Amino acid sequence: MSWHGLLPLGIVLSSLLPGLVIFGLREDQQRLRVTLNVLGVTLKLLLVGSMLYGVSQGNEYRFSVPLLPGAPLVLQADALALLFVALSSLLWALTTIYAIGYLEESPLRSRFFGYFSLCVSATVGLALAGNLVSFLLFYELLTLATFPLVVHRGTPESLRAGRVYLAYTVGGGTLVLMGVALLHSLAGTPDFQAAGYLLEQVAEHDVALQVAFVLLILGLGVKAALIPLHGWLPQAMVAPAPVSALLHAVAVVKAGAFGIVRVVYDVFGAEALMQLDLTKPLLWLAAGTILYGSLRALQQRELKKRLAYSTISQVSYVTLGVALLGPIAAVGGLVHLVHQGLMKVTLFYCAGNFAETLGIHRIREMDGVGRRMPWTMTAFSIGALGMIGIPPIAGFISKWTLGLGALEVGQDWVLLVLLVLLGSALLNAAYFLPLLWRGWFAEPADWHENRWAEERFETHWMLLLPPVITALLSLLVGLLAATALSPLGWSQLIVEREFAI
Amino acid sequence: MNAALFSLLLPLAGALLLILLRPARSGRWVIALSLGALVAAIMALQVVLDHGERNLLVGGWEAGLAIRFRLTPLAALLLVFTAGLHLLVALYAARIAHAAGKEDYWPLSCLLHAALAALWLSADLFNLYVTLELLSLVAVALVSLAGRKAWKPALNYLLLSLAGSLAYLLGVALIYGRYGVLDLALLAQLTEADGVTHLALLLMTLGLMLKAALWPLHLWLPPAHAAAPTAVSALLSALVVKGPLYILWLIWSEIAPVEFGRDAGLLFGTAGVLALLAGGWSALRAPRLKTLVAYSTVAQLGYALLALGLLLHLEEPRLHAALWLFVLAHGLAKVSMFLAAGELQSSLGSKRVTGMRGASQNVPIALAAFAVAGGSLVGLPPSGGFLAKWLLLQPLFEQPQHWPWAVGVLLGTLMSAAYVFRVVAHGFDRARPNPPSIRPDRLAQWLALLPALLVWGLALISEPLLLWLGGLGR
Repeated sequence: MSWHGLLPLGIVLSSLLPGLVIFGLREDQQRLRVTLNVLGVTLKLLLVGSMLYGVSQGNEYRFSVPLLPGAPLVLQADALALLFVALSSLLWALTTIYAIGYLEESPLRSRFFGYFSLCVSATVGLALAGNLVSFLLFYELLTLATFPLVVHRGTPESLRAGRVYLAYTVGGGTLVLMGVALLHSLAGTPDFQAAGYLLEQVAEHDVALQVAFVLLILGLGVKAALIPLHGWLPQAMVAPAPVSALLHAVAVVKAGAFGIVRVVYDVFGAEALMQLDLTKPLLWLAAGTILYGSLRALQQRELKKRLAYSTISQVSYVTLGVALLGPIAAVGGLVHLVHQGLMKVTLFYCAGNFAETLGIHRIREMDGVGRRMPWTMTAFSIGALGMIGIPPIAGFISKWTLGLGALEVGQDWVLLVLLVLLGSALLNAAYFLPLLWRGWFAEPADWHENRWAEERFETHWMLLLPPVITALLSLLVGLLAATALSPLGWSQLIVEREFAI
Repeated sequence: MNAALFSLLLPLAGALLLILLRPARSGRWVIALSLGALVAAIMALQVVLDHGERNLLVGGWEAGLAIRFRLTPLAALLLVFTAGLHLLVALYAARIAHAAGKEDYWPLSCLLHAALAALWLSADLFNLYVTLELLSLVAVALVSLAGRKAWKPALNYLLLSLAGSLAYLLGVALIYGRYGVLDLALLAQLTEADGVTHLALLLMTLGLMLKAALWPLHLWLPPAHAAAPTAVSALLSALVVKGPLYILWLIWSEIAPVEFGRDAGLLFGTAGVLALLAGGWSALRAPRLKTLVAYSTVAQLGYALLALGLLLHLEEPRLHAALWLFVLAHGLAKVSMFLAAGELQSSLGSKRVTGMRGASQNVPIALAAFAVAGGSLVGLPPSGGFLAKWLLLQPLFEQPQHWPWAVGVLLGTLMSAAYVFRVVAHGFDRARPNPPSIRPDRLAQWLALLPALLVWGLALISEPLLLWLGGLGR
């Protein structure tokens, strides 16, 4: 096997191996731990970068070892996989910096960073998985590796959240297993392919295929936090801020959404789904989730909870875009995978900064925080405005493309979808704008803590740098959306290959 | 065949010599012996794969009169499995003195190994009875090593086991009276679907189910396995209950009439699903850690019973491989789980599940072993348990009318996940940790983790493994 075949494996191992070594380190080996982390991050970014270049040139990367009869373990880099790999690797790099700053002087850091690396390995593995069985493997691994992070604080509250998290995700994983096994017995497990591989089975096994689709969507819907399977996400917010930022804004929920994209486009294919008449329910489920998440976000008094419900709402845009089954809507959904990740991670970093620096947890404590922490508040504002969909920030691009995509489908019920998009934007404004007003214009509140007050920056520099970078990136991907290497350009490339335009 | 005999005689001779000579360091001798038996078993596997099934008629009598030993690929694989697990447990017991109970553990465990090896190799009903009886007696003796508090469960085990033996023997007698032979290969050609045969099969099945603790005849198992010393619990759960299961599989897949098998398969399958649910539920509610693990054995045997039932009911030869993969994966995982439970108990000084609080920082490797082994019981990919479950599900999904069985598997999976994570979640409790009462022994924890890692590695060798198991079934 040439090095081309080993590159996907290298991307997974570049975080897995350092993670396993980190487990064995003593608590006081801080320097070695940081070195290992940084080494892994750098290596991964380099590998992903070279692979991005290769795939845009039309190279193929495929790694395969036998696993089950007729279903090998395949790691493969196609354009869609790379979209998710690039996103999670980049955000892993930034979150690692953030986490080092955040967890300074706290106990059990070796364990934390070990599981953290395992999580990212599972996420990139899941992105690179070349068939359903490999996807399932990493999907379950992700569940296992995130649980210790959710309960990292070890308080009764976090244990309760951890149990809820496990009940949902293990249940979901079992459903995915059943769906994958059912499809395997019908059609084997070939590699993912553009336009799916099940079209020939539709006539003969329509009921079995419908059951398999429902099983898979229910199982993936748990991680993608579709209603009524979203209950774990707000609870899991008891985890430390870097975990909420990377995992609950990006890795875990996106793993579910990404899985739905894979199942819809590369397993079933648009045409088979049209014949099976299955995307309408998914579409309305996504639309319902968008509105429900926004409404619940409006009711929250805690900052992280509000952000969590906002995640539930925003991730469903991806599902919505996919379920519309049109090429432009697909571009909108895919690009939102990246855009939402960038903006939401910014918001969670900022929430973590407020909590760490001034002890802010509830929304009313945010009063006047902009004067004490202008940089963080600026980043927060960019993220929040982007979520609402104000141009030229990233969120505007995705919502605009989704709207165009819905119009392109051109049926009567599309009006309803547009109404959902509009309503959600209004609700987003209703729950984000008061935060911005409080932060910038209200009289400063009485904060319990005031750390890093006499320092050069408003907070620890490792906590400040990541949100500033991601906020900048959310602006840039919006401004430069028309270029070929922006997430939008890349999503168009994916859709051209998927729909063979 | 010689290699296989060697793998049987080595522990037998070892047991006798250990009883007679009482050497100072029995542990080391047993490790050496089981290592030798493992090498011999691997060679036997090699031979049987190259040259096919081998037979040996002891004493040179003709078939029907002589004791016939038969070496199939499965028997060779089970020899490897037995010797390997015995070696792992012996390593642990040699490191941790209290894990073995008393010094008498060593000859008894060798005798257990020999009895099992003879059982895998036997090919006639009476011979199987003798090995089974020996196996049960040794197992009871091992349980009673834990001291006075284990005597009651051990006595219970002995009585029920004797009852099981009697039922089995009665069945064998009926078969002999009806057909005049006891050799499996000869019987396979002779059996007819008449009342005597049915009655004999039923009696043998009842006896074997009682001995294998298959639901609903499992009630003796949790107290006995929980009361035994750690190393003994591991051997009992991983190996001993698999002996009667093997005989059950032999009589139903080789000599039972097909139509009768189809009806009985339905019962076996139903009992399997109920075992998964009832055993899982009891494990979920068990207050003590080792009782939880013991109930998980009851539940996991449900998978094997389900696979057996479905392979009879659906006449589906692919399920033979699933059945034996369940057995292999469960054996490895259960050894790891019992050894980890023993480590957790002795380090944290508590036998209760709630006593595991804070284990993730105080005894991390043992908890990891418990979790990793539990992952295979749940059937998370790519563990051996997953491979077995996958093979079980494939034929079920092909026909929509068999889907309800898949629902049973689904519920069983959720149940196992619930009781495994019940323990793991307590391990992550940092607010009310249970401080360790002694310094945890790192090497012992790693020894507990080793079989769990092996069971996760099974998926990597799935191709040769399925090749070895591929020739199963008539």
